[in-house]
Amino acid sequence: MTNIIDIKNVHKYFKQNEVLKGVNLSIKKGEKIVIIGASGSGKSTLLRCINRLEEPTCGEIYFNDKLISEIDPYEHDDIIKKSKTYARLLSNNMSEEEALDTIKNNHLLKPIKEGKEYKNSIKKYLNDNYLDITVARSKIGMVFQHFNLFNNLTVLENLTLAPVELKLMNKEDATKKATELLKRIGLLDKKDEYPSKLSGGQEQRIAIIRSLCMNPDVMLFDEPTSALDPEMVGEVLSLMEELTSSGLTMIIVTHEMAFARKVASKVIYIDNGIIQEEGTPEEVFDNPKNPRLKDFLSKVI
Amino acid sequence: MKFFQDLVEIITTAEYRNYILEGFLNTLGITFIAVVIGLVLGFLVAIIKVFARANKALAIPNTICNIYTTVFRGTPVALQLFIFVFALFAIPGFKVYAVILCFGVNSGAYVSESIRAGIMSVDGGQMEAGISLGLSEIKTMKKIILPQAIKNVIPAIGNEVIALLKETAIISMVGSTVGTLTFDLNQASSTISYAISDFFAPSIIAALFYLVVVYLFTFLIKIFEKELHKSDKHN
Repeated sequence: MTNIIDIKNVHKYFKQNEVLKGVNLSIKKGEKIVIIGASGSGKSTLLRCINRLEEPTCGEIYFNDKLISEIDPYEHDDIIKKSKTYARLLSNNMSEEEALDTIKNNHLLKPIKEGKEYKNSIKKYLNDNYLDITVARSKIGMVFQHFNLFNNLTVLENLTLAPVELKLMNKEDATKKATELLKRIGLLDKKDEYPSKLSGGQEQRIAIIRSLCMNPDVMLFDEPTSALDPEMVGEVLSLMEELTSSGLTMIIVTHEMAFARKVASKVIYIDNGIIQEEGTPEEVFDNPKNPRLKDFLSKVI
Repeated sequence: MKFFQDLVEIITTAEYRNYILEGFLNTLGITFIAVVIGLVLGFLVAIIKVFARANKALAIPNTICNIYTTVFRGTPVALQLFIFVFALFAIPGFKVYAVILCFGVNSGAYVSESIRAGIMSVDGGQMEAGISLGLSEIKTMKKIILPQAIKNVIPAIGNEVIALLKETAIISMVGSTVGTLTFDLNQASSTISYAISDFFAPSIIAALFYLVVVYLFTFLIKIFEKELHKSDKHN
C-alpha cells in the first residue's frame, strides 16, 4: 500500500508559541485515522496544516507522493549538499555527516546566498514533485466544526458549486450526484432551503456530502460534532460511520472516544505538539503507555 | 401671506420654474456620476485592502490606498473641492468634471471603508470552506464572500449616497451660474431668492425636491435589502 499523506517533521509557530513541535506521520490509502488529545494540544492545527489552511512553519506535507507545502530544504540532504554553506563547512575539515548536522541543527542555509547549483536543485525538485495546493484541495475534503455551509446559497447550490466551477462535472451531472447524496441522507426535501433554515445536524451532514460531491481521496474532519446539540451528534456520527465502509481515507479529530474505538484503524494521541502515542484502538485505549494519555483517558471516558 | 404669494410667483413664472428644473437635473446628474465613480473606486480599494492582509505583493498598493482614505476622510470636502477646481484641474471648461471627480473620489474613500467592513463581517469560515473545496480565493470572494458582504453594506452605501446628494449643495462655492452644468438645485433656489428678494419660499421648494429624492431612494434601498435578505432566517 502506498502513502496518501506524508507529514514530515512539521513545526508550526503562532508568533512565539510553538504549537506543533515536529510531527511525522504517514497515512496509507483507506486508513481511518482518529486524532485525540486535550484542547490546545495541536490536533486541529495539524489537521489544518494538511490542506494548508494553516501554513506549516517548517517541514513538508506530501499528498500522493507530491509535495503540497512549501519545500523545506533541511529535509533534503542532497539539496543541502549543493549549498555554499555546506562546501564552506567541508573546507573547514568537517566530515560530510558533521556538516549536514551542523547545518540542520543551526538552520544555517540562507535562501538567496547559497549559489546557483543550490537554487537549481530546489527548482528541479519542485519541477518533479510539486503539486499546486488548490489542485490538491479539490481531492482533500474538509469538514469543519462550524459546518461553514455557504450562507448565500441553497443546499443544492452548496453541493454543486465547486464541482461545476472547477469543471469536474457539468451542471446536470453535479445536480444528479448531489440529489443522490441528499436522498441517501434523507434530506432531499431540503434541497432548495438556505442553510440558516436547517438544524446543526442537518447542516453538518450536508457539509459532509458537499465534500463527497468532489469525489475526494481523503476527508479531514475537524471536531465535526463539537458544535452540535447532543441529540444531533448521533446522526452525524452514523453518517461518518457509513463512510468508513468505503475505501475513503479519513482523518478525524474528535472527542468522541466511543466512536474512535469503533471506526479507527489507527488512533493517534497528540499532546504538547508532539505525537505521544499511536496504535490500534485496542492498544491506545486499553493499554495506554504514555502517562499523560492515561491521565487524558481517565478524564474523558 | 408673502410666503404663498412667492410660491405662486415661482410656480407660475416660467423662468423660475426652469431654474429649479435645471438645478434639480444637474444635482441628480452630478450625484449619479459621482456615486458611480465612488462605488468603483471604493470597491477596488476595499478589495486591495482585504487581499493585502495575506499577500505581501500588495503592500505598496495597500499603502497608497491607506493614504487615500486617510486624506479624503480627514479633510473637509469643501476644501477638496477648491483644490480640485482651482489647483489640480484648473483648466478652462473643465470645472464640472473637476467637481464630479472630487465628489466621486471623496465618496470612494467612505465607500471603500464600508465595503471593507462588510467583507470583514463575513465569517472567516466561508473563505476556508471555499478554498478547501479547491476554489481559488478570488473565486470564493466573488461567489461567496461578496454576495454576503453586499447585504451588510447596502445600508451604509445608501447613507453615503444620501449624504453625497446633499453635499453637492456646496457646488456654488466654486461658482455656478445659470446655464452651466454646475448650476445645482441649491444655487437655483438662491438665484430665485435674490430675484424675488425673499429666501423662504425658494428654499422650501428646493428642500422639498431634496427630501422627495432622498425619501424615494430610501424606499428603494429598503426593497432591495429585503430582496437580498431572502436567505436569512428571519424574513
